[in-house]
Amino acid sequence: MAIDNTGICRSCQVEYCGAALVICRIFLQAGQERVNNAVVPARPLPLIFPCTMENPMSFARTASAVVTALLLCVACERSGGNGEAPVVYRHAIDGIPASLDPAHAANIYSATLVVNLYDTLFRYRYLSRPYELTPNLAATMPDVSDDGLVWTIELRENVRFADDPAFPRGRGRAVTAGDVVYSLGRHFDPATRSQGAWLWRGKIVGLEEWIEAGANPDRRIAGLHAVDNQTLVIELTAPFPQLAHTLAMALSAVVPREAVEYYGREFGVRPVGSGPFILERFDESRAVLERNPDFDRGALDLAAEGLDPQRHAELGLEPLNGRTYPFIDRLEVHFITEPTSRWTSFVAGEVDNVMVPPEKSGQLLASRDPLRFRPDIERQYHTLAEPEAGFVFYGFNMANEAIGHHPDEDIDRANRALRCAMREGFDWQERNHTFYHGLGQVFPGVIPPFLDAFDPSLDASSTDHDPQRAQRRLQAHDWSPETLPRLTYGLEASVHQRQMFEQFRARMQTIGIPNERLRHRAFASFGDFSRAITGGELDLFLIGWTMAWPDAQYALQMFYGPNAAPGANSFNYSNPEFDRLFERAARLEAGEERAALYRQLNEMVINDCVHIGSLSRTRLHLWHRHVHMLPDREMLGGHFLRFVGIGAAP
Amino acid sequence: MTSRFELLGFVTRKLAASLPLLLGVTLISFTLTVHFGPDPAHAMLGKNPTAADLAALQRELGQDRPFWMRYADYLHRLATLDLGHTETSGEKVRDLLARTMPISALLLAPGFILGTALALFLAMVAAWHRGGRLDRLITGVSVVGMSLSFVIIIIALQAVFGVWLGWFPVRGWAVDGPASYLAHVTIPTLAFVFASIGYNTRFFRAMLVNAMNAGHVRTARAYGAGPARIMFRHVLRGCLLPIMTRIVYSVPALAISGSLLMESHFSIPGIGRVTYQAILSGDQPVIMAVVGLSAVLFAVAVTVADLLCRLADPRIRLA
Amino acid sequence: MVVVDWIAPLIVVAYVIAAVGVWLGLWADGWGEITGVMWAAPSTDHWLGTNRLGQDILLRAVAATATAFEIGLLVALASSMVGGLLGAVAGLFNGSRLDELILWLKGTIDAIPFYLFVAAVAFALQGHAMAMHLAMIVVFWTTTARVVRAETIRLGQSGFIEAARAGGSTHARVIVRHLLPNLAHVLLVQATLVFVAAIKAEVVLSFLGIGVQDSISWGLMLAEAGQDIMAGQYMNFLAATLFLFGLVMAGSLLADRMQIRLDPRTRNQWRTQIQ
Repeated sequence: MAIDNTGICRSCQVEYCGAALVICRIFLQAGQERVNNAVVPARPLPLIFPCTMENPMSFARTASAVVTALLLCVACERSGGNGEAPVVYRHAIDGIPASLDPAHAANIYSATLVVNLYDTLFRYRYLSRPYELTPNLAATMPDVSDDGLVWTIELRENVRFADDPAFPRGRGRAVTAGDVVYSLGRHFDPATRSQGAWLWRGKIVGLEEWIEAGANPDRRIAGLHAVDNQTLVIELTAPFPQLAHTLAMALSAVVPREAVEYYGREFGVRPVGSGPFILERFDESRAVLERNPDFDRGALDLAAEGLDPQRHAELGLEPLNGRTYPFIDRLEVHFITEPTSRWTSFVAGEVDNVMVPPEKSGQLLASRDPLRFRPDIERQYHTLAEPEAGFVFYGFNMANEAIGHHPDEDIDRANRALRCAMREGFDWQERNHTFYHGLGQVFPGVIPPFLDAFDPSLDASSTDHDPQRAQRRLQAHDWSPETLPRLTYGLEASVHQRQMFEQFRARMQTIGIPNERLRHRAFASFGDFSRAITGGELDLFLIGWTMAWPDAQYALQMFYGPNAAPGANSFNYSNPEFDRLFERAARLEAGEERAALYRQLNEMVINDCVHIGSLSRTRLHLWHRHVHMLPDREMLGGHFLRFVGIGAAP
Repeated sequence: MTSRFELLGFVTRKLAASLPLLLGVTLISFTLTVHFGPDPAHAMLGKNPTAADLAALQRELGQDRPFWMRYADYLHRLATLDLGHTETSGEKVRDLLARTMPISALLLAPGFILGTALALFLAMVAAWHRGGRLDRLITGVSVVGMSLSFVIIIIALQAVFGVWLGWFPVRGWAVDGPASYLAHVTIPTLAFVFASIGYNTRFFRAMLVNAMNAGHVRTARAYGAGPARIMFRHVLRGCLLPIMTRIVYSVPALAISGSLLMESHFSIPGIGRVTYQAILSGDQPVIMAVVGLSAVLFAVAVTVADLLCRLADPRIRLA
Repeated sequence: MVVVDWIAPLIVVAYVIAAVGVWLGLWADGWGEITGVMWAAPSTDHWLGTNRLGQDILLRAVAATATAFEIGLLVALASSMVGGLLGAVAGLFNGSRLDELILWLKGTIDAIPFYLFVAAVAFALQGHAMAMHLAMIVVFWTTTARVVRAETIRLGQSGFIEAARAGGSTHARVIVRHLLPNLAHVLLVQATLVFVAAIKAEVVLSFLGIGVQDSISWGLMLAEAGQDIMAGQYMNFLAATLFLFGLVMAGSLLADRMQIRLDPRTRNQWRTQIQ
């Protein structure tokens, strides 16, 4: 790679190419001014057109002058540059954040930026696995009353919002418990268009009354208030052990009311927070963040973050221990949706890390089981293979009486047989092989292996491909091509989704479900896809579910009756027994009893054939040798970015 | 020649005449995108919303208001240039356009200029040697160029330069100066030149061949003037009008459609990509602003083309 | 050029045979079936290899030929009919309110960016299989109408329409008996051009995910190919490219030949390819 690893030129030879630069700058002024967000007309047009038409000779001369100048510029910029080199880390992610307002940060892309611009009360430890919460903006872990209903949270002192014109005299102020109250409360103002209100709705004392009365931030919420500048009290209507997890999510990040009111609708692109970085620029291709000079969380304590000298030996983290973070001056986050581009940008050194596209993984691995990278790849890059904190699966619409719940017991049983047969007809190993390069983990039910509640001894036959049994099942319940219902398979229009449908259809054909009984509907936007699910227009659809906290409750809520569409229960699964046990488990603290209940719930989902699943993808990460970090984005979102160190390869 | 006032009157009349056009464009687009279009509310909800959340959000987005009121509202805002905020990030649509349009212009200008100039050059060569081997070669190659889909061109360029050679960045727009600009603009420019050169060469050649049949060109040729001199002095001047008209007309189409494909494939944050994203997420303020903008561009292009016609030949009365 | 004279029609005929075979169910019926392993190399079983799912690439490319013809023919026919009719009417009543209305409609459609329009129509029809066809027809008739209108005005100036009118013919009769025969060559050339344009547009739209829905097309194959290339698999790309290129090229050449052969003004001097 010819490009300097840090991307910064150290020597400057201004005299040599100064003249060329002047010409270039005039020619390309628009490109320069764009940085300042100025509207600039395209200059090249008037420059060249008149010559083309009137005078061929002057056109040729102008053209050759421009070309020469541009070539000189290239030569010069490669070697040019000025002053002290800031430490830059260029991070690539595979999607584009739509908004940087914490209230909209429901996906990993927004969350990656939001947790670096704002503070959440808690975060997960950098290196500990399984995931463990640790205080962030809070000074300590919460103090919870014995009945689990009253939570008291102390805030860290001397945390300031970054300077911004939204504040009087442009100077940021201290973050208080009142800001936390405001930040949570604004989720319930319709104008916020919150994506996180569901996390706390119905769970906090007096919240509903406060919303009824107009969600006025000047009025007090009975169960959510600041005792003093540093102390926050939350009173719950019922025990909610997952509350601490919700307060580590980007959705709960703390925002200053001044900025929300000052920027109005534009708050989503003008973030003002107390996080380790400040936004410098943001468009659809990248965000550039500068270090927040006011941010001070002391030194990195690797032991407290869960360093395992053996497991993390290769990462080269030790030199960072005891130093004040963040360690970089500038954080660039590049949004690269196309897998090909992501890979080529990484290899060319334009970005420092890559989440390897499955298409590429075959060329990087020496063996799949156990998973090992090729030796030359290991020499050249840092590597990481980790399961995603989520999974993909097919869900049925149980509200459709042709395939789901039915008041008539016989039909209900026959419908279940059809669903189970489709599950047996589907081949997860093939799916894993063709789309995830055989690196995914196939598991029964909806409790993925990375969770405590996962039961390794659970019967895995529900994930087996068994077309004979499927055919027997269909025959036993008199399902024939004539009696089979017409099913609609919903998908988001993408190449992979369409191919997955063709694979699914081909498998169903082998168990006797003809192509014309399985038609598909493609949706160009996620919004329309989810509207169709909500409207009950789809009988079968592929869903990816990302865990927001490391607790099976987050997955099992997808089958809880009261969460029916438009809620998380897109399948409209309705089982009173399930609902009863789910409600019981929801109040329990982590422990054996709760894990046992979770497993019971999981088996109910499997036995009723509500879903076909599941598979957890394995993420392969590579990053350049001079970057020292553990880029685990699952659960952590972007929290790890504050601990990224840059230096010579060890 | 026409007086300056007459000219001004002509331009004003022309632009005023395009008002019904603007109305038509906005009505059709508004009906399609707002009345039938995707519902942004469903994409903006959280992971576990209630039906009440959905209803509140739809009210907040103004979806419960009657269609005609929303259309009238939109026209009013368009007329006062108040384009509102995007639904997704809340950024001002005006800021968004100001941010993305220069990028699209910078991205497309080199390819547009180079493609036109190159096509003109090839067309001149072909026309000069018309019927000859060189002419057949050039017309043959331009048919080949016309037959290559834009999709094929960008995949191939990306494979060759991005995956195999790795010479140029194949995505993004990390432009901080002339060198990075050149690096980023190269592949899109190549793609653009490949895609447009076939059509342009054929068209220009046909126009030039026609013009070469004119009497004064034959005379000049008979007097032994050089090819460059004849081409520029006599032939080009003779067919400047259709060529300029074509170039002018291709600008508005280029500004949106051309940039849409290129930018969405190369992840360049220009107006095309923003528009495409807005289509996918149902971000109506952005779509409608872009439609309004392109309609205005089109009206301006029509006016400019008519003006050129009139300037070239004052006998034509188009008003 | 002599070679081109017969090679282009020959290629088109080959494509037509391929498409008709698909329609009759003679071949390429199993384009959706998984018959091989992932990304198998070309062999006697799979002449062009298989794709990611293990489907036969040749079979898919041939089946896509039928899709291309369906789109091309439908769009060409419909837009020629609409464009021909509206163009002739506008030309016949040149300068009237009706002419203005048609011109306004044409201008309006021309002023909306093409891809934006198609995407909007695709959304409006909720991903209906014919959404793309409809959108293309709505967009493509304008060019035909413009050409036909200009030609009608030219014919009108030559005076024989007035003669026919004087002879007592109705408007409809003038259009059918006098105008259409004289416009046939223009319509045929224009239809061929639209046919080619529709196939090319389909590729782009399917590539963007708003094109062909429940079928296979070269655009969808190219979209798959975009992903395959990273894994070092090029067969999908090559197959779709060659099939598409062949048809579009032959179609363009055919349109050229027809224009020269059929246009009474240029029948004898092929050099001047100007309308």
